[in-house]
Amino acid sequence: MGDGEVWATIGALALATAATRCSFWLIGHHIAIPRRVHEMLRYAPACALAAIIAPDLLLDNGQIQLQLSNLKLLAGIAAIGFFLITRNMLQTIVFGMLSFTALRLLHVF
Amino acid sequence: MRERDASMEHHPSSWRAGLTVGAPALFGIAAWGLVVGIAMVKTGLSVPQSLAMTLLVFAGSAQLAALPLIAAQAPIWIIFLTALVINLRFVIFSALLAPHFRHLPWHKRFFLGYVTGDLSVALFLQRYPGNAPELGKLSYLKGLLYSNWWAWQVGSIAGIFLGAAVPSAWGLGFAATLAIICITVPMVQNRAALCGVLVSALIAVVGHGLPYKLGLLAAVIVGMASAMAFEEGAEKWVIQWVKKRASKRAEKHNEKQGDDHG
Repeated sequence: MGDGEVWATIGALALATAATRCSFWLIGHHIAIPRRVHEMLRYAPACALAAIIAPDLLLDNGQIQLQLSNLKLLAGIAAIGFFLITRNMLQTIVFGMLSFTALRLLHVF
Repeated sequence: MRERDASMEHHPSSWRAGLTVGAPALFGIAAWGLVVGIAMVKTGLSVPQSLAMTLLVFAGSAQLAALPLIAAQAPIWIIFLTALVINLRFVIFSALLAPHFRHLPWHKRFFLGYVTGDLSVALFLQRYPGNAPELGKLSYLKGLLYSNWWAWQVGSIAGIFLGAAVPSAWGLGFAATLAIICITVPMVQNRAALCGVLVSALIAVVGHGLPYKLGLLAAVIVGMASAMAFEEGAEKWVIQWVKKRASKRAEKHNEKQGDDHG
């Protein structure tokens, strides 16, 4: 991506922040969000984030990698387990990075 | 009218109360900013670009999500749509907060909305569950928001300069993936959400080769739809079960009554 495009992307992202965060501050006074829309709003972000990390964990050069030599997948699964127990983001990131680095350097798989 | 004015006036002790309530989380916010700061530089953004992004966009999840898309040369409209979807929760937050401050001029409302972080909303609503005007309400919110904003920016800017100094071989890019995992997991609050997340992940992987990152868009739409379908299905199932139980009980009741009278 060229420099100009990156700047345009930053502008678009700022617009996305303003459009969502300021929405009801500017337009809504007594508008109630319908239940169906509320549900949709609740599920969409998790789906989008999952769609972003899944290829990062599962693909290498466009190929699906499900064997033990996929260290990112192993470290990612370990990190999910660690986070479910500790619920601490910073510790999970450190734990995940350490597992990833250890697996990489020790050539366990 | 006098009451309303009082709730919007500066009230130092409420301001400090907001700051104190939010303080324990500030370290975590700064650390999270640090990760995003490093990730921006490691994606190849220049220092001025990264600074502009953290100051103007000020939305960690959306920034983190945008970075791999920038690296993959995705079209800007796809990145914009993705950021919108990830920011959808802010629409709910703004709907929750805005009624408390509807008497403020529009530029102040815009500004308050723009700097509202996830955590501040929860803490504010714990303290002020009702919409009624109360003394120091605005100051309390400002105490929460401004400290949150500063913690985030300090962490993020430190990350930008740190990231520029750390060699790429350390694989710090993976830290961004781990950070996204940490924000996704708490969002999966029921089975329907889990279903949506799994379907979305599957479609994103299978549709990875589609042009313009359309696989991502398809993943979000189908994932969301399956979460809602799952919920609907589960709901219907529960309703049917309850109805069946009720009719069985009614039958038994009738039989019993029949016996009594018979």
